[in-house]
Amino acid sequence: MGQFIQYLINGLISGSILALIAIGIVAVFKSTKVVNFAHGHLIMFGAYFYFTFAVMLPEAAFMPSWVAKWEPQWLLDYRGDAMMFSKEAAIATWVSNLPRILLGLVGALAANAVLALLIERLVMRPLLGQSIFAMILSTVGLIWVLEGAAGLIWTAEAEQVPTLGPNFPIRFELFGTNLFLFSASLVNFVIALLLFAGLMLVLRYTRSGIAIRATAEDQSTAYGMGINVPRVFSTAWLIASMTGAIAGAILASRTGLSPAMGLFGLSVLAVVLMGGLDSFLGVLIASMLIGVLEAMAQWKLGGSVAEIVPYVAVLVVILIRPHGFLGQKEIERI
Amino acid sequence: MITGNYKTRYQDDESIWNNWAKRWGFALSIVFLVVFPFVADNYMLLLAGQIAIFIIAVAGLNVLVGYTGLMSLGHGAFFAIGAYTAVAIHHEWPGTFPLITLVVSILVAAAFGVLFGLPALRVKGLYLAVATLSANFIVLFFIREHWFEEWTGGVRGTETPNAVFFGVELVSQQAKYFMIAPIMVIMLLFAQNLFRTRFGRALIAIRDKDYSAEIMGISLYSYKLKSFAISAGYCGAAGCLWAYFFPAILPEDFGLNMSITLLVCLVAGGMGRTLGPIFGTMLILLVPEMLKVIVSMVTDGDAMAQRYFSPMRDIVFGLMIIGFLIFEPMGLVNIWDRFWRFLSRWPFAK
Repeated sequence: MGQFIQYLINGLISGSILALIAIGIVAVFKSTKVVNFAHGHLIMFGAYFYFTFAVMLPEAAFMPSWVAKWEPQWLLDYRGDAMMFSKEAAIATWVSNLPRILLGLVGALAANAVLALLIERLVMRPLLGQSIFAMILSTVGLIWVLEGAAGLIWTAEAEQVPTLGPNFPIRFELFGTNLFLFSASLVNFVIALLLFAGLMLVLRYTRSGIAIRATAEDQSTAYGMGINVPRVFSTAWLIASMTGAIAGAILASRTGLSPAMGLFGLSVLAVVLMGGLDSFLGVLIASMLIGVLEAMAQWKLGGSVAEIVPYVAVLVVILIRPHGFLGQKEIERI
Repeated sequence: MITGNYKTRYQDDESIWNNWAKRWGFALSIVFLVVFPFVADNYMLLLAGQIAIFIIAVAGLNVLVGYTGLMSLGHGAFFAIGAYTAVAIHHEWPGTFPLITLVVSILVAAAFGVLFGLPALRVKGLYLAVATLSANFIVLFFIREHWFEEWTGGVRGTETPNAVFFGVELVSQQAKYFMIAPIMVIMLLFAQNLFRTRFGRALIAIRDKDYSAEIMGISLYSYKLKSFAISAGYCGAAGCLWAYFFPAILPEDFGLNMSITLLVCLVAGGMGRTLGPIFGTMLILLVPEMLKVIVSMVTDGDAMAQRYFSPMRDIVFGLMIIGFLIFEPMGLVNIWDRFWRFLSRWPFAK
């Protein structure tokens, strides 16, 4: 039972990150009807940008020293002679890292936004109205371009980046068993869920959110009602790239940077299809489910089985409900 | 398109080579295929063998994507199944006659094709793409795991046998070429012929509008599965030849990269045409080689530049995909057609 709860918690935490990634795919699909196979690589770029701005840039010669390591007197006093790996030491490390974490996040968000706008303008816009086939393949083509570009720009592999929150182990007891998790994972979980909820609210209540939903409903009518549809497309790509940048930063701090992050995006695509391409809620459910299933598979069957869990799950779901858990029925079954 | 293609009998119109251009083109390419190995060096033969194997696989994918209109991102799996079947057969019965191995590989891959095709009966387009993509990952997972390690070699891959024809082992690049090239020609002819038959026309009808095809009496259920089986069989044949051609295989060879490369070859060449896979494969597999030559010319073989070669190749590859989709969605075959149309009408009209 204790083990079960432990893996359940791990699963929910990784599920929340899956959801944060999936939101980008759904946002782009809802407004432009483009399924972005290259979303994983957008995330990889987010992670590399975070690395650039949070690790490489602060170490550059021209940056003031407090960016790389911020150590005001009160912080040194607070740390005092705290034990390594203790709560105080972890918080103190985090605070002294705070300037570069913020710089990294802001830089990654801005750079990824520019990248997404470029992609939208140069690749996606000319392909509007083409077949599903062309759309899938052009995003697949993007995978190669992005991967190659990342290989040209960055050589770092499996580099460590600062975590978004202070990182100390939390131990607590539930149903008579000792459980254990890292506080940074908890922070990631909260950030992911807050972003998810925030985006849902934005889509529901703000002007641009309503524009996105109207475009999703019917493009030509949206045009007729005076909605700037091309701008809606840009907005959707912006949402995707910026949530992707944060997801990239989180992933990089969890598992380290590597070009393999791009492939991770494909398993998220499976999650998205499972939840239903145009339903945020369905995708949230599917992400949590896959996260938990993966953790369980890791527990009972080993790590290599966990890798294919999303693919098996999506096959099963597609066969039973071709439009996913909560997706709109639009596929003909002949 | 050839103008002035005048026929007086239905028989002429129904023949495979129904005009002079096709007849001469076929004859010339056969001559080229026969002469080529005697003038080419080993490296060119290596490339040629690789291209021929890919052409078979892409022609198979063309049956499914180009003619039946179903999407697949998982054909690398059939390639893998063909290759590992060949290895397993030679593991159990060393020295099996290569053509028997080839036929068994085709049959096994086709059986898996039917299995993969089952989702196609329920979903189309994007959903099918992701379903086949998932199937690709799952097949590779089973190949990598230790359960079948005796035949597949697991993660570390396995050495592959050489083909032995009547006691003669095909070791040299040239000998292997002479095994692969005829098989490629036969399989291409089969594909070309397939679409003159009722069966092939039924597939085209399904591509153009599935429910009207069903109303006209074509059973979507069986035709889609058969289309999957045939296209998987082609990839199985390609996989079997791949195992004979290369000294060793790894599970990673047949991953998503392979599946997408096959699809890209098809798109670059032109879907739904027999020439498409040939042109597309030659372009996609030769461009990296040209790039290699250009890079080494520009940098004089600088070792530092080698680091940039593989990302550069990726970028060029991706840009080619996007470029074809935006500027020439019908593929190279369309350019080829325009060229001949221009020549045959030359002084009068464009």
